[in-house]
Amino acid sequence: MIELKNVTKRYDSLIAVDDVSFSVKVGECFALLGPNGAGKTTIVKMLLDFTRPTSGDLLLNGIPSTLAESRTSIGYLAENHHIPVNLSGWQYLMRCAELLDLSPSSAIDQCRRIVEMIGMQGREHAKAGTYSKGMVQRFGFGASLLGDPKLLILDEPTGGLDPIGIRELRQLLDSLKGQGMTIFLNSHLLSEVEKICDTAAIINRGKLLVKDAISDIVKGGDTLEDVFVRVVKG
Amino acid sequence: METWKALTPIRRIIKYTLVDEMRHKSFVSILVICAICVFLIRGCYQGSYMVNGQALDAATIVRTLSKVTFHIIATGVMVITALLSMRIFRNERNEGMQSCILSKPIARWQYVIGKIIGLWVLSILFMFILHSIVFLTTSINLKVFMPEYLVASLLCSLNLLFVVIAVLLLSLLMPDIIAFLSVLGIGIVGFMGDGIAAASHSQMAQSIVQQSGTGTQSDLTWWKIVYYLWPKLLGVQQLASTLIEREPFHGLGSLYPLINILFYCLILGVLLFKRFENEDVI
Repeated sequence: MIELKNVTKRYDSLIAVDDVSFSVKVGECFALLGPNGAGKTTIVKMLLDFTRPTSGDLLLNGIPSTLAESRTSIGYLAENHHIPVNLSGWQYLMRCAELLDLSPSSAIDQCRRIVEMIGMQGREHAKAGTYSKGMVQRFGFGASLLGDPKLLILDEPTGGLDPIGIRELRQLLDSLKGQGMTIFLNSHLLSEVEKICDTAAIINRGKLLVKDAISDIVKGGDTLEDVFVRVVKG
Repeated sequence: METWKALTPIRRIIKYTLVDEMRHKSFVSILVICAICVFLIRGCYQGSYMVNGQALDAATIVRTLSKVTFHIIATGVMVITALLSMRIFRNERNEGMQSCILSKPIARWQYVIGKIIGLWVLSILFMFILHSIVFLTTSINLKVFMPEYLVASLLCSLNLLFVVIAVLLLSLLMPDIIAFLSVLGIGIVGFMGDGIAAASHSQMAQSIVQQSGTGTQSDLTWWKIVYYLWPKLLGVQQLASTLIEREPFHGLGSLYPLINILFYCLILGVLLFKRFENEDVI
C-alpha cells in the first residue's frame, strides 16, 4: 500500500529524512514514531506530495506520490488541523465530499453519518470560529473518513483532544482497522499506539532506527515508551 | 470524458474561490462603496460644458464622461484585483484549505487554474457591475444607449487576468504587499510610458527632437524597445474605449496591446505553474 525507497529530503544543509526505506501492507495499522524534528511530518508530506523528496521514490498503491491519482481513496488528517473560520463544520465536510466527487445525496448521507460518528450533532452548523481545537480536530478526522478511504494517514490525530476524545478516537480506529482499512499513524501517544497498531517504525534525525511488529519491538515486560526512549537515546 | 473529469475539480475550486471571497465583508463593502461612487457620477452628465466657447451637445458629454468613467473604473478594479489576489495563497495555507484540497486526487495545476479563473471571474463581475451602472444611467436617465460600453468592459477584463496571474506569481516569490506594490509599479510605469509616448507625438515635442539633432534618435531606440515590450495595460483600455467612441478600426497594429497582454499572461502563467509545482504545501 505504501512504499518508501531510499527516500532523502534535504533542506539546504539540513537532512530531514535520510535514506529511509520501508513499506506498509494493506490492512496494516502502522505507527511512525520519533521525537520532535525527527522527520515524521516530512515523510507524511512527501507521501501526499506536499513536498518533493530530494532523492528516492514514494509509492501509494504502486503509483508514484507525485501523481494526483495516488491520492485516490486516501483520507488525511493534518497535524494542527484548520477549518476556515467562515465555514461551519457541516459546510466544511460537504466541501470535502464535493472535492472527492461524491454525489450530492451520498455526500449528505456520509456527512450526517460522520457528524454522528465524531459526536458533533447539534454543533455542525455553528461557524468553525466558535469551535475549540478539539472540535476542529474531530471535524478534520471526520473529513478524512469521507469517501470510505482505503488508507488513512493521520498526523498527530490526538492533538487538542481531551482524554474522552482520545479514547473515542482509539475505539474508532480499532473499528476501522477491523473493517480492513490501512492506517498510517504519526503519534507521540505511545500508549495509544501500543494498543492500536500492528507495526511501528522509529526514526530519529531523519534516520530509520527500527521497523518491526509492535509485538517484536516490545518484549520482556517493557513498554513501547521504554523501547522508544532506549532506541532514540542510542 | 477525461477532460470533463479534469474540469470537475477546477469548477469546484472556482466556485469556492468566488464564494469565499464574496463572503468577506471587506469585499462587499468595497463593491458597495464603488457602486455608490459610480452612481454619484451621474450628476456630472447634467451639467453644460463649453469647449472653445462652444457648448457641447448632450450626446458628446455623455460619451466623453462615460469614457472617462470607463478608464477610472477599469484602473480602479485592477488595483482592487491586485489587493484580492495578493493574499489568496497565504489565506488558503493558513486556513488549511490548500492542504485539504491537495490531499485529494487533485493536481496542483488544477488548483492553480481554479484559483486564477475564480479570481478573474470575480474581478470581471466587479468591473462589469460598475460599468453596468454607468450603462444603465446613460440608457435610462439620459436615453443614450451604449451596448458597446459593456463589450469594452469585457475586453478590458484581459488586464485583470494579467493582474491576477502576476500578483499570484509574485506572492509566491516575495511578501504579499511587495507583490502588490510591484504589480502596481508595473501598471504605473506603463501608464506613464504611454502618457510620455502620447506627449512625444505632439508637434512641440517633435520640433524639440528635430532641433536637438539625430544623435538622440539612437539613444531613444532602447527606450522604444522597452516601451513596446512593457505590459500594455493602458493600451488595452484605450483599445476598449475606442469601442465606446465608435472609432474606426485602425488595422492589426491597434491590436498590439491585446497581443502584448496575452503574451504576458501566457509567460507569467507558465512561470506560476512551474513555481507552484515546486512549492511546499504547509
